[in-house]
Amino acid sequence: MIKDIWSVFIDRKEFFADLLFEHLEISLISILIAILFGGLVGIFISEFQKTAKPTLGVINFLYTIPSISMLGFLIPFSGVGNATAIIALTVYALLPMVRNTNTGIANVDPAILEAAKGMGSTKIQILFKIKLPLAMPVIMSGIRNMVTMTIALAGIASFIGAGGLGVAIYRGITTNNAAMTMVGSLLIALLALVMDFVLGFIEKRMNKRSVKAKKANRIMAAISVVLCLGIAGGIFINTQQKDTLHIATKPMTEQYVLGEMLDILIEQDTDLNVELTQGVGGGTSNIQPAMESGEFDLYPEYTGTGWNMVLKHDGLYTEDLFRELESGYRDSYNMQWIGMYGFNNTYGLAVRREIAEQYNLKTYSDLKSAASSLTFGAEYDFFERDDGYDALCDTYGFKFGKTIDMDIGLKYQAINQGKIDVMVIFTTDGQLSASDVVVLEDDKQFYPSYICGNVIRAEVLEKYPELKTVFEKLDGLITNSDMAEINYSVETENKEPRDVAEDFLRSHSLLQ
Amino acid sequence: MKTAIEFKDIKKSYDDKVVMEKFNLSVSKGEFVTIIGSSGCGKTTALKMVNGLIQPTSGDIFVNGENFRNKNQTQLRRNIGYAIQGSVLFPHMTVEQNISYVPNLLNKRDKEKTKNAVLKWMKIVGLSEDLKHRYPSELSGGQQQRVGIARALAASPDILLMDEPFGAVDEITRGQLQIELKRIHKQTGITILFVTHDISEALKLGTKVLVMDKGKIEQYATPSELLQNPATEFVKELVKKERRTCYLPEEQLFTCKFSGTVGERNSHDTK
Ligand SMILES: Nc1ncnc2c1ncn2[C@@H]1O[C@H](COP(=O)(O)OP(=O)(O)OP(=O)(O)O)[C@@H](O)[C@H]1O
Ligand SMILES: [Mg+2]
Repeated sequence: MIKDIWSVFIDRKEFFADLLFEHLEISLISILIAILFGGLVGIFISEFQKTAKPTLGVINFLYTIPSISMLGFLIPFSGVGNATAIIALTVYALLPMVRNTNTGIANVDPAILEAAKGMGSTKIQILFKIKLPLAMPVIMSGIRNMVTMTIALAGIASFIGAGGLGVAIYRGITTNNAAMTMVGSLLIALLALVMDFVLGFIEKRMNKRSVKAKKANRIMAAISVVLCLGIAGGIFINTQQKDTLHIATKPMTEQYVLGEMLDILIEQDTDLNVELTQGVGGGTSNIQPAMESGEFDLYPEYTGTGWNMVLKHDGLYTEDLFRELESGYRDSYNMQWIGMYGFNNTYGLAVRREIAEQYNLKTYSDLKSAASSLTFGAEYDFFERDDGYDALCDTYGFKFGKTIDMDIGLKYQAINQGKIDVMVIFTTDGQLSASDVVVLEDDKQFYPSYICGNVIRAEVLEKYPELKTVFEKLDGLITNSDMAEINYSVETENKEPRDVAEDFLRSHSLLQ
Repeated sequence: MKTAIEFKDIKKSYDDKVVMEKFNLSVSKGEFVTIIGSSGCGKTTALKMVNGLIQPTSGDIFVNGENFRNKNQTQLRRNIGYAIQGSVLFPHMTVEQNISYVPNLLNKRDKEKTKNAVLKWMKIVGLSEDLKHRYPSELSGGQQQRVGIARALAASPDILLMDEPFGAVDEITRGQLQIELKRIHKQTGITILFVTHDISEALKLGTKVLVMDKGKIEQYATPSELLQNPATEFVKELVKKERRTCYLPEEQLFTCKFSGTVGERNSHDTK
């Protein structure tokens, strides 16, 4: 395991270095804003103690909102991406900052304040010469807590399409790459430790009170402020490119690969620059609003999902409804379906090959005669769901001899070992390509259809008509078994989505 | 003579508790007023009214003829030196920074002048120069008090308020400081209000002594007047011992039958 982690890290040094830098950037911006804004609020409520309780109450309340919901609330206002992440991180960082500033100032000995006042200091002078310096140790310890917390919390920012090391963690989880998840987590921990060490050093320096040390402190402070601003500023410079196509993908292995394909082909065939936001947490429910607000220009989607989740129809989607789906998207959102890849990622039934041959099974209906002597396996919840086992049996009028509950991760093993004969699968499961099974045809359309295509904003397509030729190349390019193989390469063989995408395009002579 | 500080019909109460009433006092410019009275009688309260840290419930305070209420209090305070009861130094500042606190509020530019002033005042209050970069926590109680005094004097104020400034210094240093303060007073003509618990210090330093009890003035007079004509029983009790202390030259000391040397001589006689 340690070897895996190390080799992943070495192989993808630059990838991780970029993420690390981005992580630092997002955290630092949030930290700086929180220090400034939180400090001001802390000072304000310490001067006007009547406002302290309600203010702290509100901030305390914000602090208790789970981070995932906080990000969810923010998306409608600030969209997906770094801005939302920074806002959320800043909100969480405010509490320790405001509370410690207030406590630090409120705890300054009133006799000292009276002395300063009696000597003719103005309020401002008392604040800067007396209160803040005396409150500094308490404020500093607040900052220290807040910094480690922010760096750790920034790991979830990738959930809403922001950058940082969370990207590696999330990608590792969705593409079954534990080593990548570990590297991401370890780097976050390391970053937090380093920052804490740096702050500890600063704290120590601040306690040194000799004249010489103070001079050195001032120089070091100036340098670090410039550095921080430089790092934080990077984010704004980065995002100022023109004619960039913003592509999002959902957190699924196949979407990571599709994203890379789009990136490669569009940059190769047009002058457009692609900015790819991979694995946006929450998938459609977060990407669709961002498409509506124009933050994203296109993303790969499945017809059935679009029908139920975006157009909010209740019924079962079949491809007969595609025209209605298209016009629904055009009329309600001014978006368009284009570049239909060809594969259908839906539920399916897979049968061990020898069984399929023995009973000559091709469609679900064929199972009718054989079912009573076969063993059926599925996840626990399949037997409970309304559209699960019972509904399936009713539609096709069969009943299996035996049923077994099993974990998703184990069911391919079980069918390969002959413990089960029939099981529920996703039609693009990576494991399918490595298992000796036959996927049967859903001839009565029990499951909705989830054909994969791209949803693009119509404006964007009008503005860059050259994109059409790219999408033409994608039409019908990928079959179910192609996609299963692609998933297998990434999830089981631990290949990089980018490499897999390139290989696939090359083998179809789409690379120049 | 011009009036430096005037209390006019001052009343001060906390909630229902009256701590000061019908307080009228006028202090001439250049006066060295020592204030004495039992603990909790309102000495600190009176002092803090002069620099506006405590507002009277009713009545007016005039400083250099102007009503304190109507003035920019911050500006006014900078001309009033304030040596606080228990010294209260700024713990995050060095001795030098503490002493130069008020000069720095006044003029930020002339650093050289401030530096020299600090050294001058440190010398006057008897602090050796190498304490300059120490922090208050690194000083003895007496040293802290002297820093507090130097800080009050550093901006050369017109009025100096001192609340038991010599409480924590030893007898010998106290004697030196008393002499220094007396000298400063003579040289600069500064008006001083000086709170003390020690009647002999009050009589020795003051050009006028203010005796207070329970928020009221018992007597405001010169030390000799106080000794000769104590106005009330309270004052009489207070100065009783002092009236019987002899300040005769050394060689005549034993001729006074109230002097401490008497016992010695008597025992000599019996031999
Ligand atoms: N903030 C306050 N609230 C209520 N009562 C107060 C307050 N400050 C002072 N007092 C009361 O006012 C009276 C006068 O207090 P003051 O501090 O002037 O006494 P003092 O003469 O300086 O005593 P000491 O010699 O002990 O310093 C005291 O009875 C004290 O309890
Ligand atoms: Mg007092």
